[in-house]
Amino acid sequence: MARVAPTTGSKILYLLCLIIGSLLLYIDINYKIFEGVKNNYKSALITSSYLAKSLTIDPFVYIYELSKLKSTLIDENKKLKRELDESYLSNFIISRETKFFSDSSSIEKLLDFYNLDKVFHLSEIKYFDTEKYFCCDQHRLFIQSVTPSKKNFTGSPVFNSSGIVGQVIYDNGIKEVMLLSDSTHSFPVFSDDYFCNASGTGSPGLISCSYSSLIWPKPIFEGQKFFSSGMGGIYPRNVYVGAAKNIKKIDDVNIKFDIVLATDPLKENNLAILENQ
Amino acid sequence: MKNLSLFKIFILLFISNFFESLLAPFFIILNIIVPVTFLFFSFIAYNSRTNFNAITSFVLGIYVDLISDSFFGLNAILFSLSSFVINSYSNTFKLFSYLQICIFFGITSTFYIGFLNLFINVQNFSYPVLFVSFIFNTFLCLILSMSKFYIPNLSINKRI
Repeated sequence: MARVAPTTGSKILYLLCLIIGSLLLYIDINYKIFEGVKNNYKSALITSSYLAKSLTIDPFVYIYELSKLKSTLIDENKKLKRELDESYLSNFIISRETKFFSDSSSIEKLLDFYNLDKVFHLSEIKYFDTEKYFCCDQHRLFIQSVTPSKKNFTGSPVFNSSGIVGQVIYDNGIKEVMLLSDSTHSFPVFSDDYFCNASGTGSPGLISCSYSSLIWPKPIFEGQKFFSSGMGGIYPRNVYVGAAKNIKKIDDVNIKFDIVLATDPLKENNLAILENQ
Repeated sequence: MKNLSLFKIFILLFISNFFESLLAPFFIILNIIVPVTFLFFSFIAYNSRTNFNAITSFVLGIYVDLISDSFFGLNAILFSLSSFVINSYSNTFKLFSYLQICIFFGITSTFYIGFLNLFINVQNFSYPVLFVSFIFNTFLCLILSMSKFYIPNLSINKRI
């Protein structure tokens, strides 16, 4: 049977759909009123996948472990692994003093200020949209604290064993982390006497800065190390961020360059949330 | 092809979106974007016995916006446009060869990628990606359309 070409009535209906769609798009981009719906959907998806896994796969895994008569050893192993991760994260700043800090006095200040034995909360990645991470501007991951906490971590910085990963932007049990490379993220960094608000490029592992040579006549060179400046009060100061790359002249005075981030969010499953002071 | 129920389409779109998110990180290394969900929707609209309603396309688009974490309305607009074009040319397609139809779907998928990138990836908008994706998607459609001639199961079942 032949299909009928759209009539005038259905054309009007299509036009109406396009207008409503455009309106929704405009509202979502400018006012973000659908964020709640999207976050609820993501939370439901993560929770249901977690439940499905715990109801279907986990019992088999448990039986398998039980049949091997090594359950005690496995539990012990898991506990030790968790403790190891925790100690690794707590020592990350101390163990990398020479790499991560521009001067030795800053570590003392930071340790005193943050009291690092208590300030971080170990958490695990629950969901990471790698498709969006590689293709698009929006770089987000979803984490959950290993030990449940009633505190709201919105605005808290998140790091893994190699440095700062991003910051919590939404906390509803499962925390949404905006990565440094997200195009809407801004991150104050410095190197020597040069300061800039590095913005995410939307490309994995890259943030970018621009400056006017009239303000900073000293040139930036490839591989120059950049550290967090601590401005804005979100991120701790003097943490190594990455090295300069792809230095380009935009015009006679303005220069733009990328910073290759030292951290890779895909590398580890465990992250730490620093308590917001 | 039988007309699929709306519930089945919802499930299939969810699965295709899941596959899209699995494949995308590997394809993007080669500068290719394969909009599996969009191509699947286009395929359903193309193969449907009756015209796809504007509201159905719109609702499916909104649903894809939700599951793919895009801006609300983005896929709704594109799905509505796509179904309108497919409905308009549904009879003309019968005069086309497989190659022409595949090129048509390659072009629509390129338009979809370009339009989508204007909103969600404007900082890294790239024409080479669009061009490579066009060629790849056209060949993908061609391979899929040819597969029914080379996979005997399909043709035997049809005869039965």
